[in-house]
Amino acid sequence: MKRSRLVFFVALVAFSLLFGLTAGSAVIAKTKITVSVHYGGGQIEPLQKLFQEYMNLHPDVEIVTQTVAFDDYLKKIQTARLSGESPDVYHIYSLWGPSLANAKILELPPAAVANDVKANYIKSAVDGVTINGKIYGIPTEINNYALVYNKKLFKEAGIAAPPKTWDELVQIAQKLAKRDAQGKLTTSGFAFMRGWDSAVVHPFMALLFANGGQFLSKDYAKALFNSPAGVAALEQEVELFKVKATDASSEVWNFPNNTVGMMIMAPWYEGTLKSAYKDKLDEMVGVAPIPAGKKGLATSQYTWLWAVDSNSKVKKEAWELLRWLNKPRANGKTSPQGDFLVGQGIIPGRKADLENHNELKTDPFMKVFVDQLKNSISEPNVLQGAEIKTKLMDEIMSAWAGKKTPKQALDDAAKKVNEILEENY
Amino acid sequence: MQEGKRVKKYRMSRQRTILAYLFLSPVLLFFLVFFLIPIVFSLYISFARWDMLTPLSQAPLVGLKNYQYILFKDDLFLLTLKNTLVFALGTVVLNVVLSLFLAFLFTRSRFKALWRTIYWLPMVTTVSAVATMWQYIFKARGLINALLADVNISGPIWLADPRTAMPAVILVSVWAGLGGAMLIFSAGLEGIPDSYYEAARVDGANVRQEFWHITIPLLRPTILFNLVTGFIGGLSSFTLIMVMTQGGPLNTTNVVANYMYQVAFSDMRMGRASAMAFALFGVILLVTLIQLRVFRRGGIESY
Repeated sequence: MKRSRLVFFVALVAFSLLFGLTAGSAVIAKTKITVSVHYGGGQIEPLQKLFQEYMNLHPDVEIVTQTVAFDDYLKKIQTARLSGESPDVYHIYSLWGPSLANAKILELPPAAVANDVKANYIKSAVDGVTINGKIYGIPTEINNYALVYNKKLFKEAGIAAPPKTWDELVQIAQKLAKRDAQGKLTTSGFAFMRGWDSAVVHPFMALLFANGGQFLSKDYAKALFNSPAGVAALEQEVELFKVKATDASSEVWNFPNNTVGMMIMAPWYEGTLKSAYKDKLDEMVGVAPIPAGKKGLATSQYTWLWAVDSNSKVKKEAWELLRWLNKPRANGKTSPQGDFLVGQGIIPGRKADLENHNELKTDPFMKVFVDQLKNSISEPNVLQGAEIKTKLMDEIMSAWAGKKTPKQALDDAAKKVNEILEENY
Repeated sequence: MQEGKRVKKYRMSRQRTILAYLFLSPVLLFFLVFFLIPIVFSLYISFARWDMLTPLSQAPLVGLKNYQYILFKDDLFLLTLKNTLVFALGTVVLNVVLSLFLAFLFTRSRFKALWRTIYWLPMVTTVSAVATMWQYIFKARGLINALLADVNISGPIWLADPRTAMPAVILVSVWAGLGGAMLIFSAGLEGIPDSYYEAARVDGANVRQEFWHITIPLLRPTILFNLVTGFIGGLSSFTLIMVMTQGGPLNTTNVVANYMYQVAFSDMRMGRASAMAFALFGVILLVTLIQLRVFRRGGIESY
């Protein structure tokens, strides 16, 4: 009896302590904004520093960051929504936008934000955050594609300049390829990205655009990538397999081992190359526009954006935070967001940041990508985008393997993609 | 008097039943929350079109459309179903034959504990570690091809070649699962009394005859157990292939569990993925029932 009374007493004290604490914290409650990003260690700290700066300016605001890996991001939004614990601010890949907007998970920005985006960002970035004609957030990262080549291998093979046409590229790739006694490639003249849908589809899209083709019709009702321009683009890719300048084991990740001559890549790979080559990056790695097609120079692009959850209880505060983050600082001409991105070797979408960050014009790796922004076309923000690209990826890869002709592969992909489009458009 | 006693007895037994359920309640609750409710829920979803983003109440019911689509329209589902069967069959047959052979060998050898430990070691390694290690071994210029090159054979790029990828993952799956089946066979072998073998030897049987006419028939229940559990494991296998090939090249190693995951979380079609889960369940049930029927009889009890 005595013992149980003691237990009761202890429990009572514990409870009152607990309630006391929560009540105490409620008195000085801050506005808590939860921000979900895909940036991990090494990348998130500079962003958190900016958030700290904001919190110092606004002592009533508390910003909490959550890191979710790229692969899990959409799943995490799904499950967080189901459990009713969604973050307030998302940093999302543009292609996730249509599904999120369709499910009314994204809050439309206030008119001031939308107008700012329209006026102060490059067109392809505005396209990237536009879903069904409406702007859904603030563009951040821009990734477009260019030809990245190994200068050392070029020099060894006596090649002076990067290719200007695809035929030249194929010839150079053949010259760069080296084989062992068994005939296996030890150095690939060219390597294709693979492993996920965008890796395979975006470079194809770039060649398609350069040939003057379109990915989907304007109203998203029909696939157009199996047009003659698209077939030519895939034939260009397949040619590299035919001349054995690349094979199924050629990996872009081997580039830092100096066993890959050329690849079509996005700027996000610079970090890996930098840590591999250190101060020799400029000496070893060259960047050039993807060889021009019938239409001239063109490449594909995708965008990231800040968006706000429609269930958030602090929408106003969230947009205020995002506005501060993306507005040029009073003293200088660049925005905190732009400073953060450029510091990471990422291209920002805001015109002021593109104009006033000197690194973007001088960094030999970045400057070609930045220069090619004028030729970059945003991938379409279509519902079921990931599924569409996965279907296309499967078919592109069967053409690479020689199982189907480029035309057959693209026609089969178009048939499947049209079925998906029909459900929503 | 008699009546009162019976009522009392009834009351007591009822009290006991309630008490028993009370003690069982944590387990039952666990079963309900993490097993029964999800199954009923996914059965419901399999008749709907739902992306997990829109509220479930707004997800339109589509009847049998999901099942129709996967069974009659989706070539990739049928391909993955075929791959799953090939993978499971290949794994189980090789696994059972090899592990039975090894277990039989080890019961007759010295240092049997040592041999068993060596073959059991992969079992205590996480699947993703096993898969990653074999990825290196199977590389274009990895260990296997280096050995083949020594005898002037040009090996394929195992995991990137549509012809060799499936055999390669089956081999790894067999290697990783050998120890478990072997241990169960060892226990089964220990359960066969020596007197049977002695009797056979008196009649002049050699080791091979002992194996075919005593070991195999008496081991039928153990073989059945390994076949059934192996098949269920093989048919629902996910991690190994996810890490080793992600279903590639050209979907030659894509299995239903892998494809289902992709359809659910990448294509955001929970309804279609749930329908796949039930279709896979149907296949597993069918295969298991056939096995139970074929191997029903056997074992020491039936002689």
